[in-house]
Formats: sequence, C-alpha cells, structure tokens
Amino acid sequence: MLSRRDTIRGLALTVGLATTGWAERAMAAAPAPATLAWTPTALTQDQARLVDVVAELIIPATDTPGARDAGVPQFIDRTVATYYNKGQAERFVAGLTRIDADARATHGDAFVALTPQQQVEQLTRYDQEATAARAQTPAEPHFFPALEDLVTVGYFTSEPGATVALKYEPVPGAYHGCVPLAEIGRAWALR
Amino acid sequence: MANVNGRARRKNTYDAIVVGSGITGGWAAKELTQKGLKTLVLERGPMVRHLEDYPTAVMDPWQTKYPQGQLPQDELNAHYAVQKRTGYTMTEYTKHFFVRDDQNPYTEESRYDWIRGYHVGGRSLTWGRQSYRHSPIDFEANAREGIGVDWPIRYEELAPWYEHVERFIGVSGQAEGLPQLPDGHYQPPMEMNCVEKAFKAKSEARFPERRVTIGRAAHLTEPTEEQLSLGRTKCQYRNMCIRGCPFGAYYSSNSGGLIAAERTGNMVIRPASIVTSLIYDEKAGKATGVRILDANTRQEEEFYADVVFLCASAFNSAWIMMNSTSSRFPNGFGNGSDQLGRNVMDHHLGVGASGEAPEFADMYYSGRRPNGIYVPRFRNLGDAATKRNDYLRGFGYQGGAGRSGWDRDLGNRATADRGFGAARKAALTQPGPWTMGLGGFGEILPYEDNRITLNHGVKDEFGLPTLSMNVTIRENEIAMRRDMQTAAAEMLEAAGFKNVKGRDDGYAPGLGIHEMGTARMGRDPKTSVLNAHNQVHECKNVYVTDGAAMTSASCVNPSLTYMALTARAADHAVQARKRGEL
Repeated sequence: MLSRRDTIRGLALTVGLATTGWAERAMAAAPAPATLAWTPTALTQDQARLVDVVAELIIPATDTPGARDAGVPQFIDRTVATYYNKGQAERFVAGLTRIDADARATHGDAFVALTPQQQVEQLTRYDQEATAARAQTPAEPHFFPALEDLVTVGYFTSEPGATVALKYEPVPGAYHGCVPLAEIGRAWALR
Repeated sequence: MANVNGRARRKNTYDAIVVGSGITGGWAAKELTQKGLKTLVLERGPMVRHLEDYPTAVMDPWQTKYPQGQLPQDELNAHYAVQKRTGYTMTEYTKHFFVRDDQNPYTEESRYDWIRGYHVGGRSLTWGRQSYRHSPIDFEANAREGIGVDWPIRYEELAPWYEHVERFIGVSGQAEGLPQLPDGHYQPPMEMNCVEKAFKAKSEARFPERRVTIGRAAHLTEPTEEQLSLGRTKCQYRNMCIRGCPFGAYYSSNSGGLIAAERTGNMVIRPASIVTSLIYDEKAGKATGVRILDANTRQEEEFYADVVFLCASAFNSAWIMMNSTSSRFPNGFGNGSDQLGRNVMDHHLGVGASGEAPEFADMYYSGRRPNGIYVPRFRNLGDAATKRNDYLRGFGYQGGAGRSGWDRDLGNRATADRGFGAARKAALTQPGPWTMGLGGFGEILPYEDNRITLNHGVKDEFGLPTLSMNVTIRENEIAMRRDMQTAAAEMLEAAGFKNVKGRDDGYAPGLGIHEMGTARMGRDPKTSVLNAHNQVHECKNVYVTDGAAMTSASCVNPSLTYMALTARAADHAVQARKRGEL
C-alpha cells in the first residue's frame, strides 16, 4: 500500500514532468505524422492516423497539451480493442469510414490529407448534422458526438489532461466548501 | 475412533460462532471477543485485509483499462445483470467488492435488486456511511398505528448502545436537537459549501420545520486515541471510499471491528465458509453449532459453540434459518410464527428534485467531501401541523450542491450545438454551473406478503437452494413518493433555484440496499421470530442481529441501528451465558 506521503511525492513528480515543454509544443501547429509512433491493435494504420488527426482537431494543443500528446489516439484504439463489443466497434469504424468517404467525395483525398481549414469545415458539418438529428431522435445516433465523447473522456482522464488541463489532487487532505474560483483556477479533474 | 472424533469436535468448538463478517458480524466479533469469548467468524467469501486488499484504492484515472473505469457492456450483462442496476457500483474500481450474479442466482417473482458483496467485510466496505439513530417515534409507530407488530424495545433501551457504537466507529455530524432524529456522539461536522449554506438559510426561512443539516457520516474528522491505535486516521476528502480507504477514515468491519477482535487473540476467522444450516439438538432444545460448506474444497464441516450469532445480512440469515429444518422446526428454524422471510422492507428512493443555483458563479470548493446534506423527516411527527392524510410515516432527503466538471456534456446534445476545438476545450477546463439535488429516502411499511422464500427448484453452483423474491411497494409508499417530489421542488424554489425539476426515476425494491425485516423482533413468539434481545424466541442461544431483526424500517439509513442492536445482543449473550441460560 502507498502511504499518503508516497502518493503525494509520486504526484509531484508526475506533474513536474508533465508540465515541462507543453507550452512550446502547443505553439507549433502539429501536422499529422506520416507514420504513427505506436502500433494500433484494433484499428488499421489508416484508421489510427485518421483518429489521431480528428482527436487533435476536437481537443487541440493550446497552452495545455492536446489529444495527441495526451495519448488519446492510443486510448481510442485500446477502447475499440477491449471495451467495445463487436457491434459498438463496427459502428465506430463505420464513422471513420464515413469521414474518409466524405473527404474523398468533396475534395478527392483522404481526410488526413486535407488542409486544416477543410478538416474543420467537415467536422463542423457533422457537428451541425448531429445537433439537427438529435432534435428528431433518430433510431441510430449520429457517429460524431460519440466520437467526440470518446476523445473528451480519453483526454480528461489522461495524465496530461487531468493534471495539466485540469486541477488534480488525489489526496486533498481537507474540504473547504467556499473558495473563490480564482484561487483554484480550473475545474477539478475528480469529483 | 471415538477419541479422534472427540478431538475433532474439540478442535471445532468455540464459545461463540458469528456467521458473517459485514457491518454486524464485525461488531458481534468485536464485542464477544472483547468480553472474553473464543469466537469463530465464518465468512462465505474470500479474505479482504484492511489496506492490503484494496487493489484500486489509489488508482489514478489514467490507470484504468476501460474508459472511466466503466465495464464493457457484454461483461456487465453476462456477470452483473443485477449488480449493474444501481448504475454506480459496478466499475473497474469496485467490481471485486460485488458478487457475480451469474454465480449467485435468485428468482425474481417480482423485480428485486439484490446488491451484495461476498467477502470479509461484506458491504461495510461499500456502504454509504450515513449514520442516523432511529427515533422514539420510529419505535412506537407500529403499535400506535396498528401496523405489523410492536417493537419489543423502545428508544431509551437502545440509546446507550447507539452511543457505544458511535464512539467506536466515529461519526461526524451536527447535533440538531430534533425529536425525530436524536442527536448522537459526534466528531466535528463536515462543512457545507456556499450553495448549500444559502439553500439552508432560504429554505429554512420558508419551511422552518424542514431542518437542513450536514450528513451524519461514519468518517473520522477528529479521531480518538482508540481509533488512532487501530491504525485509523482522519478523512482525507478523496471520496473514493467505495474502493476501500487507505486511511481507514470511514468505518468498515475490516478497518474497525475485526481488527479490534483480532487484537484480543480470541478470534478465529474462516473465509470461504458457507454456512448451510444451524445444528439443532432436540434433547437439549438448543443449537449446538453450524454446518458449513467450504467454498474451495467443497467439503462439509461442522463447528460447535454455546451461542450463535447470525449476521449474514437480512436475506442470507433468513436463508440459513429456512434451510435449517428438523422435526422441531419443519418450516424453518424458529419459524413457529410463519414470519420468517416475510415483512421485507427497504427504503424507497429515486425521487426528489434538482435545480440550478442562482448565484456563486465565482465560488468553488476544494477537496471531495464524501458526504452530503440531510433533511430529517418532517412529516407525521405526531402533531397536527405535520400530519398527512394521504400516507403514514415519512422520509428524509439526502442531497447536496456541486459544480459540474469536464464530463458535463457527455452524451448530451439536448442543448445548443456544443462545437469542438480550442473554445470547447477551454470551457471544459472550467467548472460548470452549480446544481443542487435532493433525493428522498422513504419508509416502507412491513407487509406480510412481501416475502422471500426458499426455492429448491433453482440451485446455485454448490447445489444449494436459492431465494425467490416477491416484494412490491404499495399505496402508502406511492402516495409518499408524490409528496417526496413536490416537497423537494418547493424547497428549491423557495431558496431561489432556477429550472427546478422534480423527478421520479422509479424504484424497484432492493435498490435502497437496505433489505430488512425477514426475522422480525417482537413481543409474541406467535407473531415474531426474535425477542427483545434478538434471540430466536424458540431457540434462545441463536441471536439474529442484522437487518433481518427489524420490526419497522424508519426512513433513516439502518446500519447504525444494526450495529447498536448487535452490541446490545452480544452483551446480553455474554451475561446470559455466564448465568448458564444458554
């Protein structure tokens, strides 16, 4: 068992490491890597590169790490491999297939090869479609919100997402019920 | 041979046997061993040692295998078809503390959500920790209203035992001086947040009889020497209690009663020991011990003692009694009254209201308080002002206020287009709006035909008969639920909350995880199973001190009462044994 001191020391170390270099990296707009630095297990290379680009568009690096640096593409691949059942995995992959098919139909190229402007426009269309579809309660939910949710969960439960983008305190030690938000600054990672 | 058998019998003989190691088994073990009885504690599940066996207690969110630690749908459906019904108990963080439903079948004649943990410590590891005393009104209600049978004890008889329990387990809370919710012995209360404080002030101004107080919870806020000496320390406000507490800050059998019992040197604890029946000696007219099935070796074995405490949970203690038939007890042990397995009660919940706080957008909180606010019962308190004509008894509210977090728009596109990209990311790194909710916990009356029965048609993996459930709520509870929703909404409205929404998510019996009543206490052996000291009327050396003993449910969380009844019964057993009465 970890003592409280171990837990806190471990936390200090991870936060210290996690904060180094994020700001610099965030400033450079990160293009999609030609090849992945990791090997997908459930997704194909092409699907994984697509997920990598879409995830970073949904949660981009800003003054804090983005989805890519937080390992969200790997998280999604793992989710498809181990968490989703067959039907869920098929629906997820169908969404990816549609993204690429739409990109080719509109621009004649794979989504990852489009300009960032074109990519944002395409995802914006999905976002609007999904909002409209929600009002009509269709039998099959639109794929985009589910993808967006998965990126969001992957990001804010990652170590950079929880400890850098949010405030993380595994062992608060005390409860203070009325604290100015300005003193805390960000939302807590845990509730 | 006789010699060998004699030795075997001596080896398996104790002064006392405690069946179950959960919140009452731990107390029976502690009290009996501290009073000098060599005690065997039998637990059907595996060992869970405090600190050592909390594998997820300090896991970070990025260490889970699955998103947010949620279990895959196929795993939930295959193994946790019932346990998943709570919506919050079955995760990667907690699944080892709950049973696999496919291995522990029962029959739902009507839907019954039986949420269980089979391991040392039982549900004392995963309980909600809310700790309230029953009131004098609760103990008198059945007699006054002609419902069920009268409790054979009154509040004053249990009060010293409540205090005894509170001092050992440690309860943080605020004394309020209310007759319907007697004050106990409390460590300093936890703090309310800004919104809760404002809610209290404004709601109480409009509804002075609806007191708003901080939850009374079994967490240490100012540990005593005794608690520190057991290795327990102050609450660290992690709010990960259900995984087991590395600080021993909330009370569990594992961190409290069983450790105290172990330190006496008088306890032997035997996991993987499924008690299948009580052994009854017709000549002596008493129980001589219990039979077990070893869950690992599948061997049967017998253990003997002067006194047996059944603390296996309301349904499993009743199951053991139903499965203990003899020529003296053809319909189940001590069941001359035919009340065994009847009068199943729980607390009905899932109804209340919520709203958005109108102010404090610039305020937040730090730490994760493992506790909420509480509104003690304010209906049918015996005076004209609180009298309801549409139902008997009452309910309390548990609730609290908080700001939503990064997960606030998951699965939710009901509102405007939420967008994506840097702006959404920035928004989610700030807390969302303050919301406050109130959820009712209502009393269920004892109905004889709300019952569990032994089902020989469905056997478990050990070939043992299983339970069949037939429990429903009735008019009284349904009428109460309407009021539970209305009264919550009007409190939030009176306090100036916006978008106040009443809700009734429905309730299936069992979901309160407070099942009780299956071997009720009473004054008359013809109409009850247990007497005023939790002894089986028809066999005085068997005590039943878990939820089975309850004669009525009150609306407050029951564990504190179970512990107090257990401590009181253990004291009685030790004295009676000294007097040679057992």
